[in-house]
Amino acid sequence: MELLFNLFSDYTLRIVAFGSSLLGITSGAIGCYAVIRKQSLIGDAVSHAALPGIGLSFLLIGSKDTEWLLLGAFIAGWIATFVILNINRLSRIKYDNALAMILAVFFGLGLVILTYIQKIPNSNQAGLEKFLFGQASTLLQRDVMLMGIVALLTLLPMIFLWKEFKLLSFDRVFADTIGFSTKKLDLILTTLIVISIIVGLQTVGVVLMSSMLIAPAVAARQWTDRLSVMVILSSIFGATAGICGTLISSSINNMPTGPMIVVVITLIAFVSLLFAPNRGLIWKKVRDNKNKKEINSTIVLSILYNLGVKHKKIFNAHDLNTLMLEKGGLKYSKKNLRKELDKLKISGLVNKHGKNLWAISKKGIDKIRALDYVNGGESYHD
Amino acid sequence: MDNIAVKVNDLTVAYHKKPVLWDIDLKIPLGVLMAVVGPNGAGKSTLLKAMLNLVKPLTGRTFFWGESYQVNRKRIAYVPQRGSVDWDFPTNVLDVVTMGTYGKLGWFKRPRKEEKEKAIEALDKVAMLSYSNRQISQLSGGQQQRVFLARALVQDVDLYFMDEPFQGVDAKTEKAIVKLLEELKNMGKTVVVVHHDLQTVMEYFDWVTFLNTILIDYGPIYKVFTEENLKKTYRSAIDSFYKNNRKVI
Amino acid sequence: MKKLIGWICILALVSMALVGCGNQGGQRDDGKLNIVATTTMLADAVKVIGGDNVNVECLMGPGIDPHLYKASAGDVAKMQRADMIIYNGLHLEGKMGDIFESMTKQNKAALGAAETISEDKLITGDSGGGNHDPHVWFNVELWIEVVKEIEKTLSNYDQDNKETYKANADNYIKELGSLHAYVEKRVEEVPGEKRVLITAHDAFGYFGDKYGFEVMGLQGLSTATEAGTADVKKLADYITENKIPAIFVESSVPPKNIEALQNAVVARGFKVEIGGELFSDSLGDPGSEEGTYIGTVKHNIDIIVDALIK
Repeated sequence: MELLFNLFSDYTLRIVAFGSSLLGITSGAIGCYAVIRKQSLIGDAVSHAALPGIGLSFLLIGSKDTEWLLLGAFIAGWIATFVILNINRLSRIKYDNALAMILAVFFGLGLVILTYIQKIPNSNQAGLEKFLFGQASTLLQRDVMLMGIVALLTLLPMIFLWKEFKLLSFDRVFADTIGFSTKKLDLILTTLIVISIIVGLQTVGVVLMSSMLIAPAVAARQWTDRLSVMVILSSIFGATAGICGTLISSSINNMPTGPMIVVVITLIAFVSLLFAPNRGLIWKKVRDNKNKKEINSTIVLSILYNLGVKHKKIFNAHDLNTLMLEKGGLKYSKKNLRKELDKLKISGLVNKHGKNLWAISKKGIDKIRALDYVNGGESYHD
Repeated sequence: MDNIAVKVNDLTVAYHKKPVLWDIDLKIPLGVLMAVVGPNGAGKSTLLKAMLNLVKPLTGRTFFWGESYQVNRKRIAYVPQRGSVDWDFPTNVLDVVTMGTYGKLGWFKRPRKEEKEKAIEALDKVAMLSYSNRQISQLSGGQQQRVFLARALVQDVDLYFMDEPFQGVDAKTEKAIVKLLEELKNMGKTVVVVHHDLQTVMEYFDWVTFLNTILIDYGPIYKVFTEENLKKTYRSAIDSFYKNNRKVI
Repeated sequence: MKKLIGWICILALVSMALVGCGNQGGQRDDGKLNIVATTTMLADAVKVIGGDNVNVECLMGPGIDPHLYKASAGDVAKMQRADMIIYNGLHLEGKMGDIFESMTKQNKAALGAAETISEDKLITGDSGGGNHDPHVWFNVELWIEVVKEIEKTLSNYDQDNKETYKANADNYIKELGSLHAYVEKRVEEVPGEKRVLITAHDAFGYFGDKYGFEVMGLQGLSTATEAGTADVKKLADYITENKIPAIFVESSVPPKNIEALQNAVVARGFKVEIGGELFSDSLGDPGSEEGTYIGTVKHNIDIIVDALIK
């Protein structure tokens, strides 16, 4: 709890946590669109492509002010996105290949430019290298204000163009035929994605930024089937990761902030993948087991029912051996069969007569009748 | 020109060297329920797409009520083949159908109660109302098809294009679609349907177009659904049948 | 189309060859010794000692951070062609360790200047693991030892000119002696409790050790580590509590870190100044007074003292 107290009392912690949470909100929200459009890796490409932009901006303008560097990053990131999205259209190169190519080429170019810059005297180039992994703890107030503006710039269009973006992401062809300019919408959405990536570079860096775009959205998708809830949840996850990552790294020595934030959001994503109801893997396993058990007990019940139908006396009791013979392929051992029958008795679906005789009960009959695939054809009324 | 809904002139579409559609001239009158039939690869889907500007033709133009597509696009609805959408998308049935109202809403406006009610009405018409809150991946093929039809209904247009709506659907869905087509016809709408099942053409439609890269024939079924036309359209299919399997009962 | 690709390939190959051949740098075939030095401090010393008998090529210019410097292919080629390589060692040139190793394996004459200093005079890094603080040049007396080592190495390699080298070195050592005295005198001006030097990274350990200053850096011994929020908090608290009047920016480290620290202190209600820019991991601009070791040390101590006695 001392941590939380520090959060409010320590100036630096406050600034860094606030900035990180803004990043989490922005990238979490807009990242949902990248994920549902199956363009997740574009975040990776854009952030890697930003590196030469940063270097060139410094070379051409000579200032290490964040604003100029981010502008260069934005232009480079935008060009990379544009190339990737169009290379598919204009040539036979597939989307995946184009993405990998552009990512590698731009990043390599960026490293070359940085190496070149380090030769220039008095360039103080060390600051540029920091963009690789972020320098969250040196966020200044004006950096955070910039992030706040970007957050607004991103969230407002999302709200105003909510149905348009949803439509575009779901069924582009349909959007075209009802008169929406999918080109314009694509442009706006892509630009928003690029902006949010660029602004996050300062905090988590070029190499890790794509995770901030993808992980919150993937995690959120596990918990809901509605886009609106997904976006809100994703933002919350992102902000939580930002704040927690900052708090944790502040309490351990030599723990870098950016990567810690990424670790937190990854954990959130993993937990969501495993434990979310309906879609979570563990949940599915549990449900599958439950279903299997259901089916098994239904099989036993149906054996009793069919026996009854055959003998025209539905409430006749039968012993275990008879039951074992009835279903040729029954995988039960006698012991398991008895266990199953005991369970059914507890549910009131069968009755036990004497020590070893079992008959179906009225409740059991009703249950069987309700399942139209068991009943199929044979009804005891015939 | 008054009673012609769609007029196609000299339409030719080629993807690579071989043409997919060659010199199509077609006049679809108002209020018909028309099937477009032909063997696989005949260009049926392409015909629809080329008419709607989704595919660029090499030559030719299509006129809707005498004007270009752009002018009258708000009076036209298109239901494509089912595969084109990501079924894991976080949206439910009601939501998808409501998207059909977006066109009339235009930019920025949000769908309100009025739009929701239109969607509910359409879902009811295709017997999918009880599935309103289901996420779309939880639907069967036929149910998905009905959802898309409902979306087209909601658009409340005068001209419907449908690409193989009966493909791979269950009996319940097929019945629902047929009922829907009848209703549309009774409302005076014009419906053009790419259809794969020759057996049901005469039963479901009143006009037919025979297509196999070129236009073999088109018109009212009682005039045009002849053995000769069938032979001409499916000639290559029949030929290869005889080539590979001489014996025929 | 195929022809075009062919021409492009040829063009690419030719331009690569040209670039490879182009970089002769300052090395000439004029009978002088060709020496490659890594830092500006070393280059300065070698120039003074070697005089007209050597051509010195410096890899890292002023303002460049040696902890992060990555050698390019051109740099490696320069080192290959040189007669001798002089580097600082003790992991100052953090990303070039492998290169030095391979050079020595190839029997290239190489001197790790700081590594010749006996271990009891070196400061250990507090991260343990046997790491030493490499910033030895901030202790002028230690630098005198380095100068002696350079002279020995040059003389051994180039016996013909060893008298010149000895004479140059002796002269220079006298100057360094005066420099050391100057620094000590200026330090006297600062009252005891104000002798606290706060900079961007832990470069000034030897300075603090020799001249009686408490020294604290935001980042550790290497600028490659990130300064965490805990580090900022610790320093900000310390500065505020002890009312340290000034903190200092370094020429080879981005000023943002110190700015963030200053903001943190101001938020605690204490106004700390940025005392000025110190040359930490390199010398100042060549051609200016601060382009030499002596100039840089003077510049640094003047700025420090002037800011703290306010």
